[in-house]
Amino acid sequence: MKSYFENYESLHDSSFEDFMAHQLSSSLCQGIPDNWNVGVRLSVRELSLIGEGSHRHLSSSIRLQIGAASIPKLPAHLCEVIVIQRLPLGVFADPFELQNPHKHKAFRDIAVFGDTNLELPSFQSNRSAVEFHIDAGSNILFMQNNGTEFNLLLPLHARYQPLDESGYSVVEIGEPDMLMRCSVEGKQHKQSCLFMSPPNEKAKSTSATVAWKIPAGMKAHAGFVSVITFVTALLSTLSIVYASMFWSGTKVSKT
Amino acid sequence: MISLKPRSILLISAIFRVGLILFGEWQDTHVEVRYTDVDYLVFSDAASLMASGQSPYKRTTYRYSPLLAFLLIPNSFTSRCWGKFLFSASDLFVGLFIRIILKQRKVPDDLCTYSMLIWLFNPFTFTIGTRGNCEPIVCAMILWIIICLNNGNVVQAAFWYGLIVHFRIYPIIYALPIIIFLDPCFFRSGTKPLLSDWTSDQGKARQINSELTDKCVVSDALKSTFTRSRILFGLISGTVFLLCTGFFFRLYGWEFLHEALLYHLTRTDPRHNFSIYFYHIYLNYERELSVLEKLISFLPQFIVQLVLILCFAKDLVFCFFVQTVAFVAFNKVITAQYFVWFFCLLPLILPWSNMKLKWKGLCCILLWMGAQTHWLLWGYLLEFKGKNVFLQLWMASLLFLAANTFILIVLIRHHNYGPVFRQHTDLKTTKTT
Repeated sequence: MKSYFENYESLHDSSFEDFMAHQLSSSLCQGIPDNWNVGVRLSVRELSLIGEGSHRHLSSSIRLQIGAASIPKLPAHLCEVIVIQRLPLGVFADPFELQNPHKHKAFRDIAVFGDTNLELPSFQSNRSAVEFHIDAGSNILFMQNNGTEFNLLLPLHARYQPLDESGYSVVEIGEPDMLMRCSVEGKQHKQSCLFMSPPNEKAKSTSATVAWKIPAGMKAHAGFVSVITFVTALLSTLSIVYASMFWSGTKVSKT
Repeated sequence: MISLKPRSILLISAIFRVGLILFGEWQDTHVEVRYTDVDYLVFSDAASLMASGQSPYKRTTYRYSPLLAFLLIPNSFTSRCWGKFLFSASDLFVGLFIRIILKQRKVPDDLCTYSMLIWLFNPFTFTIGTRGNCEPIVCAMILWIIICLNNGNVVQAAFWYGLIVHFRIYPIIYALPIIIFLDPCFFRSGTKPLLSDWTSDQGKARQINSELTDKCVVSDALKSTFTRSRILFGLISGTVFLLCTGFFFRLYGWEFLHEALLYHLTRTDPRHNFSIYFYHIYLNYERELSVLEKLISFLPQFIVQLVLILCFAKDLVFCFFVQTVAFVAFNKVITAQYFVWFFCLLPLILPWSNMKLKWKGLCCILLWMGAQTHWLLWGYLLEFKGKNVFLQLWMASLLFLAANTFILIVLIRHHNYGPVFRQHTDLKTTKTT
């Protein structure tokens, strides 16, 4: 994601997908057949939103499967799973919260990219994405693997939403993008390869998006709220002014 | 009657606070809900950045003077609780200063003790420092300024005043009452001003000591506006403020100026808070508010501050108190930590109030807490249950303003107003302290 934001100002789905396709095509490993990519399957087994209100957790269960065909001539390698959760406009992740070592010690690295402002409403914000790096183990491409599961729990917070007549705004969070990166010891140098599940694999996952209903202000309230706010402020002001002038030392007679 | 000695009270308070800090560390590690204030993490991160030679403003939402990050640098290499101990120590100093200020006015020991206890054992105030909020430092400095002024030490008062305005901005509202307070009738070159003492009549029927003010003839007002004390105070405090601000601007540039100063002067937050303006701001956030709208929202604050200053400046501590209550109540953003600003002044005005705890005092306490709790309930439903209760929450904030206004008026009504100082010429035989 760091590379993405070096080339693009903000996160858009189409730009991101083009970027990922380019990254993958330029990150194939020497000595590994091009069609070997089908051997690695990363899928989302479950995606859900836990909790209520403005602070919730996005729970994702990721499954990694290594196909039947192994590559015996492949040298030693170390792999990690990279999960990129793109977030819609209405929610954000707190980068400082994600640094908490107690909660996130299972991950090699976590970072938030994009708009990390914690305070602005959604209509003054841009999108962000959270990138997880999870250790998948060493030499895993040698052996068939029916499925290793990784569970991610991402704390998310709702931004203030644009005004809506219904009083609520629905924000949809899609599945994360997943890939595996392996560092392979080459004859002359180390190389890094990226693997990603073919597009048709994604269609097999169980849930595409989760919906988060967030309260929003109602435009119909604007008129009378402003008037009553200022009238209340005025009444309070007059009361305090009257009390101060009447009960201060300036006008009361001596004892 | 309480017979605890001040030293014992401070010792028990200190032990209690150390216990709370240690409990807080345990809670942070073992319980989902943290004891430590999220602001403390912000301060600590900013201090780490400063310790490594970087700008503290690289830490998002750090909106304080670099002085605060500097004070917390030891968090990085001693204990991460260093800051909490510092803030709690300031908290204890506030209790001590409350006693000093009241003893300066010859308030009896038992009332001094009650006043200390009101601050030191108020659940709101002892959690503030132990959770890592820096407001006790501000409170301690404000009270120290009062002590200096009571002692006639204008230079020192001015120094700390310039520093505190740099540190926290809001004490700028005390500038005009301090200038009025430095009345040449009482502040004379080479002579310590005479404090008017508390008397047992303060607790009875309301009295006004206006006779002493009549002798300062109005016709001398213009001549005495620019006195040595006032000029000295203005120059020294202004210089200290500009020096601090200039120094940190040199180090951290526009980021410092924007985050530590300008942000607070222009802050409007559409997110829910105790202020009556929050929903109006949210509903109009997508469009730019007109100059007239901004002026209308600023006018109540301006008028109230001006009237309170003109009516009560001679009774400086009471003036500070009512100004602070009103400032917080009419502000565009109100968070719970702002309440500490007037909590530290409340024990100083109570000996001059003829309002009894039973039942008027108790009613005021319950009314204020009730209005706050009512707001918090709606806030909980909005933030933690996801219910659209914006309208109800806004109405709760109106009620909270109404409660604050009512209590302020009751306190004004029951206060025995009187100038802090008395004149030298009428009391030649009175010894100065």
